[in-house]
Amino acid sequence: MNDKLRDFLYERQSLLNVFIAVFTAMIVGTLVIYFMGYDILESYEALYQGAFKGRFNFGGTLERFVPLLLSGLAFAVASKASIFNIGVEGQLYFGAITAAFFGYIIKGVPSLVHIPVTLLLAAAAGGLWAVIPGFLRAKYNVNEVTTTIMLNYVAIFFVGYIVNHPFKNPNVGVPQTPNVQPTARLPKIMLPSRANIGIFIALALLVFFIWLLNKTTFGYKVRAVGFNPFFTDYVGVKSKLIMVLTMFLSGAIGGVLGGVEVLGIHGYVLDNFSPGYGFDGIMVGLLARNNLKALPFVAFFLAALRSGAINMERFTGVPKEVIGVIEAVIILLAAAEVIVEIKKRKSSDKGGVEVG
Amino acid sequence: MGDLGLIINLNLLRATLRMSTPIALAAMGLVITEQAAITNIGIEGIMLIGAFVAVAVSYFTGSWVLGILASVAAGVVVALFMAVIHLKFKADVFVAGIAINLFAIEFTRFLLRNIFNTAGSFYDPNIVPIPSITIPIIDKIPVLGTLLSGFKLTDYLGIILVFVTYFILYKTVWGLRIRFVGIHPLSAETGGVHVNIKKYQAMILSGIFGGLAGAHLSLGYTRQFIENMTNGRGLIGVAAMYFGGVTPINTWFASLFFGFTEALGNNLQTFGLPSQFMLMIPYIATVVAITIGMIRKQKREKNNLL
Repeated sequence: MNDKLRDFLYERQSLLNVFIAVFTAMIVGTLVIYFMGYDILESYEALYQGAFKGRFNFGGTLERFVPLLLSGLAFAVASKASIFNIGVEGQLYFGAITAAFFGYIIKGVPSLVHIPVTLLLAAAAGGLWAVIPGFLRAKYNVNEVTTTIMLNYVAIFFVGYIVNHPFKNPNVGVPQTPNVQPTARLPKIMLPSRANIGIFIALALLVFFIWLLNKTTFGYKVRAVGFNPFFTDYVGVKSKLIMVLTMFLSGAIGGVLGGVEVLGIHGYVLDNFSPGYGFDGIMVGLLARNNLKALPFVAFFLAALRSGAINMERFTGVPKEVIGVIEAVIILLAAAEVIVEIKKRKSSDKGGVEVG
Repeated sequence: MGDLGLIINLNLLRATLRMSTPIALAAMGLVITEQAAITNIGIEGIMLIGAFVAVAVSYFTGSWVLGILASVAAGVVVALFMAVIHLKFKADVFVAGIAINLFAIEFTRFLLRNIFNTAGSFYDPNIVPIPSITIPIIDKIPVLGTLLSGFKLTDYLGIILVFVTYFILYKTVWGLRIRFVGIHPLSAETGGVHVNIKKYQAMILSGIFGGLAGAHLSLGYTRQFIENMTNGRGLIGVAAMYFGGVTPINTWFASLFFGFTEALGNNLQTFGLPSQFMLMIPYIATVVAITIGMIRKQKREKNNLL
């Protein structure tokens, strides 16, 4: 291989592997569509139009973009400290129920106060829930993947209880909370779709965390802990405290996600309302290789696929489950650390002039 | 008191055993891989694909035996696939497991739509279920009959396999080597054990157990396929495995305990009582159990240093 090309690829091999994953998955999806007897071009055109054409369709993409971005951000932030936060799903449930409660109970304040207060409380709820596995990991080295998976169930059951019993809307038959006050609802930005200002909240959080992790001492400590907790302890950084704080922040993002979904989309919490937003974040984080700046692109790509899939099914009959298969193949391939490994050239190959 | 009698009765114990079987089957596969240092949370996806394959094959061939065999074969294929992603392509074991689980949900949903042209669930009288076994004589004894007889074949098989797992791990050379691999891979390798081959073999076994668990779920426990019908049972298996200290017999008891909380939760729900707190217990118990285990380990290590 050409030396310059090899150096170029070596430096970008994680990006290269992500592209291979996505590309392979798209080929698989295309083959599936083809062998099911549908017209490929027509299908992709319907997919494209469903994702981008018109306010309703594009709004649908933006609406799906927000939870993907936020859950990806929550996952990526924790992973900076080498913590796998599989618990975003549980954290968003606590955020959602908190937002539903304060969105309902606080009355007579303007939106400008009501929305931020409610979302901050939702963030706190999600964050505090995430502190439990964070603390257990930091203090006793309990594997956080297992605990967060378990605590997801606890959170979903707990919220299920709240929604079914003490905080059930008595006027409807299904288990759901009363509607939040109109002052707590996030204004819509692209009617008739459900897209709302949650997208700006999500992007603002993204920018904030890029700044926090890359430009502050705290962010440096987080990354140092992720790199080597023993070393950071040795140089006087309290790595355990950093782990717990990082987990709090990650959970808080999950809490905001729950809050934004309640205040922006539904207006209430329904039992089992999340279709797995928290788990989507793992896929987004994996594909972005936990690079915060890559998150919005990955989230947008997946949101467009999902939004377009509905249109594709309606107009061409290609079942939207095809997109599920594409996603599944993407995540399987993205899980692999290395599909193609570009080895670094030995420095002697570089052909520089030897000194000495 | 009358209500209590309706909630806690012999049928509850029966339901406990019924509910514990899929958990126990999954957990046995998990014990084996965990002993070889692989936490196979992909068992959930393996079960789900197994459940689908079992229903499909039983429906098309009219044979539950073929259904189970196909489910086991599918389980092995998926488990090997995960093993390759983890061992060859160096994916983190949890990431690989999560990927398999998401894949299983999407893939079975896709197949359900395309093979049976339906969404949500598939039921058909042509699906031949796993038969129930009536134990002669015991069946006629009042209490014992209810407790021991009339379960599905795979319920009994599950109990037998607990002891088979124990035998494999603790009474065979293969089991010794598997545990060696888990405890100290480097010395195992030095001692002439091919670590990765052993890990692949452990994954194949967990594929067999996962496939059985899935087939039991769709052909024994119920007689249909429902989207995401495993509904976390594989992950409860992970919980049972940790709660049981990664040994087969204790893990089985943990599965029974988790089956009991589920059965009791269902009974409470029938009477309009909140079941959620009952259903939470296995998960909280697991977190507590793992934490206690880690605290003990830390203390041991501290004492060893002194």
